[in-house]
Amino acid sequence: MAALGLVAGTGSALWTMKQGLGREVHAGWSGSKVTGSVDADPWTRAQVALTGLLALNRQQAIYFSRRTDDAGQPLREDCRYRVEGATLPARWWSVTVYAADDYLPLNDDDALSFDATEVRRDAKGRWAATVAAQRPASGAWASSRNAGAVDLTLRLYNPTPAAQADFAAIAFPRVVRIGCGKGDAA
Amino acid sequence: MKRALALGLTFAGVALAAHVGTILVAPHALMTLAMRKLSQGDGKVNTFQFARRTTAQSRAIVRPSPDLAYASCVYDLAQGPLLVSAAPTPGGGYASISVFAANTDNIGVFDTIAHPQGIRFVLARAGEPLPDKATRLALPVVLSPSRKGAILDRRLAPTTEAFALAEKARRADSCAPLR
Repeated sequence: MAALGLVAGTGSALWTMKQGLGREVHAGWSGSKVTGSVDADPWTRAQVALTGLLALNRQQAIYFSRRTDDAGQPLREDCRYRVEGATLPARWWSVTVYAADDYLPLNDDDALSFDATEVRRDAKGRWAATVAAQRPASGAWASSRNAGAVDLTLRLYNPTPAAQADFAAIAFPRVVRIGCGKGDAA
Repeated sequence: MKRALALGLTFAGVALAAHVGTILVAPHALMTLAMRKLSQGDGKVNTFQFARRTTAQSRAIVRPSPDLAYASCVYDLAQGPLLVSAAPTPGGGYASISVFAANTDNIGVFDTIAHPQGIRFVLARAGEPLPDKATRLALPVVLSPSRKGAILDRRLAPTTEAFALAEKARRADSCAPLR
């Protein structure tokens, strides 16, 4: 019974570290105000150590991640997604694709992320980009090839004080599935 | 009945202890592993190491940003405080120096927005007296609760050209003992 307890306790700790309890979720994006700070509770500290070691505190950068699209479906390598948003409250931002192992997907597409300087904005400041295993016909793109279960990370560098104080005030990008499978048109 | 209760309590007690123990130990263990990787097997401390441009193959740290140029210094304050300095990237690209204690806490951070002429500070062990020189320099002092930890230089470098600029600038980074 002690051995079972050991397995259950260790397993639950590893699950908590991977899933990240106590994080705020806004529009599908999950983040923590105490990432990297000395105020982090032991569970947040352990979770950051596993999935975001050496992360900056929120005065320098805020990190958000997600594993599902806006419909709540898991993000998959064989699906294409449109990531669309407006001006983000930061000096600079980027969206990066990670594989389920928390490393970059092993591909040679040279498109591991897209950032504030790559997206084209319309008159209202709105932008859109694609996350997919294949390069789209036009526009900013992050490749999910070889990612398997896709994880997106949004980094806001030098976020505004308002964004630091209240994540709910951030106009987060939407992640909309365009289609799945090889037969899906671009 | 008593036996079932005893087994249940044993299970719950061991599970709780294992859960809390793992949560408390994991940051130190993962940080120790990371510092070993960054210092190339404990060999290179108190000196900056310069990572190549992040690629899909980068595996030193989880979730590396492909948009940044990284340099790292694993510190050891056994011989006293360090003087840490970093020059800005030409063209004004964002650069930051952050200090992490052995438990992963981010105990200090400086950027070139607040310090456009460059970053300089003293890193010392908390609870130990500062040498006169550290006081005379009149620089910011970061106090580390642990003897060992890591310093990370991040520079915005989303393109090959930006990375070349960051690479040139970061070569002036220093995390040497204060003499």
